[in-house]
Amino acid sequence: MANDSLPPNQRRFFLTIVLGGISAVLSVAAGWPVFRFLSPASGGGEVKPVEMPRAKIDVGGAQFFTYHGSPAVVLQKSAGEFVAFSAVCTHLGCIVKWIPDKEEFLCPCHAGRFSTDGAVLGGPPPKPLKSIPVVLAGDLLRIG
Amino acid sequence: MSLFKGLMDYLDVRLGVRDLIRQNLTGYLVPRRANFFYTLGAVLLALFSLQFVTGLLLLIHYRPDAANAFASVQSIMNDVPYGWLVRYAHVVGSNIIVIALLLHMLSVLFMASYKKPRELTWLVGFIAFNLALALCLTGYLLPWSQLSYWATTVATDAAGAIPVVGEMTVRFLRGGAMVGEATLGRFFALHVMGLPLLLGAVIGLHLFLMRRAGISRPPFGPDYEPPAPLTTFRHEDHPDGIPFFPHYVTKDLAGVFFFLAALAWVIFFAPVLFIPPTALEPADPFVTPPHIKPEWYFLWAYQTLKIFPSKVVGLGAQGVFMTLLAVLPFLDIGPERRPAHRPLFVACYSLGILLMVALSIWGHYS
Repeated sequence: MANDSLPPNQRRFFLTIVLGGISAVLSVAAGWPVFRFLSPASGGGEVKPVEMPRAKIDVGGAQFFTYHGSPAVVLQKSAGEFVAFSAVCTHLGCIVKWIPDKEEFLCPCHAGRFSTDGAVLGGPPPKPLKSIPVVLAGDLLRIG
Repeated sequence: MSLFKGLMDYLDVRLGVRDLIRQNLTGYLVPRRANFFYTLGAVLLALFSLQFVTGLLLLIHYRPDAANAFASVQSIMNDVPYGWLVRYAHVVGSNIIVIALLLHMLSVLFMASYKKPRELTWLVGFIAFNLALALCLTGYLLPWSQLSYWATTVATDAAGAIPVVGEMTVRFLRGGAMVGEATLGRFFALHVMGLPLLLGAVIGLHLFLMRRAGISRPPFGPDYEPPAPLTTFRHEDHPDGIPFFPHYVTKDLAGVFFFLAALAWVIFFAPVLFIPPTALEPADPFVTPPHIKPEWYFLWAYQTLKIFPSKVVGLGAQGVFMTLLAVLPFLDIGPERRPAHRPLFVACYSLGILLMVALSIWGHYS
């Protein structure tokens, strides 16, 4: 018979390659749907700005909200002057809180401090808070 | 190859893996005549593993509360990438498992593999079969569709026929007077944690018993003779058999892939085969849909309850039947395993299958 002329180790090598190839194809066919199933939902392209009535924020007060799926904060520094930042501390990702008495943001995890402009005042954060554009349109704030 | 050999040497020094492999894989000989039905154990292990993985994935998006359960399943089907595939695999997989379980049981019955010394293997397997059905029943409620809701109402209501404690049992099963939030909570807990843990342990025990006694030789062929009665423990060896690995594993894999192909066929070509239209409407406790029926594997029990004049008698008949099946190895104690030499058993076996099929068809069309 023709295949008797092949040494057993060559046949075994051939079978290993074929089985390995089939296993790889099947693994990818099964693994890809699982990977896609577990992948986080995509943003779906353009992200809408967040709208909020200006009356919700007192002068010297802050309001927390969700922006692009993560916490953010909008602050009225003085009458009509609004700024917004990501509320995620740039050190290890904790959420900062607004301290009205000191007029600064404090990260409760490792005492990182940020100014009303988002700049680092003290503590371990390596970078300022990420700024988010704010537009005042009548009585409505458009953030983002 | 030298890397593989190095790894094997490392493990061999510490764990004696070469010895383990020889004892349990390459040097472990199994019956040469093992047929397709012998692969059903491996098929079931593969299918249960698939249920475990797909169930785990579904848990990520499923919400076990009455207000959100249906919507979360719809979201899995329509919004989550490949969510439909995962859910269909889980739903169809559960039905294929019941088919494989029935074939496994029927083949063991036909070949009388439940006989001494394997009575406990059968009994533990029978418990596993019932746990699998309980998993099907509890999982059926979770999508919180009209079908889920009313099929569970009917199924739990059957327990009300038990004398004295019937009503209390129904309330206990449901967590209240009617199927509701409490039922969903307890069925969910049972389905994702309680029953799988129990089933895993029972399957482990089943495999241990099977491995300890050895695989039974098929009772066919001219050279088969019933073995002499055992008086002491003896592992059934097959000196003329084939190695478990790779020969028998190849057979097992053929069985596994056959069933996986059947599963894939249903998922892609007949995905709603096991999903009637009432499964696509959210549960409404105030509107009972017409012709509500249990799953196909419970139809025989459903019809039995209907044909007996009293529900107690119907439930009792089911109980007697299941108990007889469970203790069969302790009643049928003769050493003969060849079907041709057991005409009475084969007649009862064939009539029993016909009766079950007839009752199920009757239940479906009634």
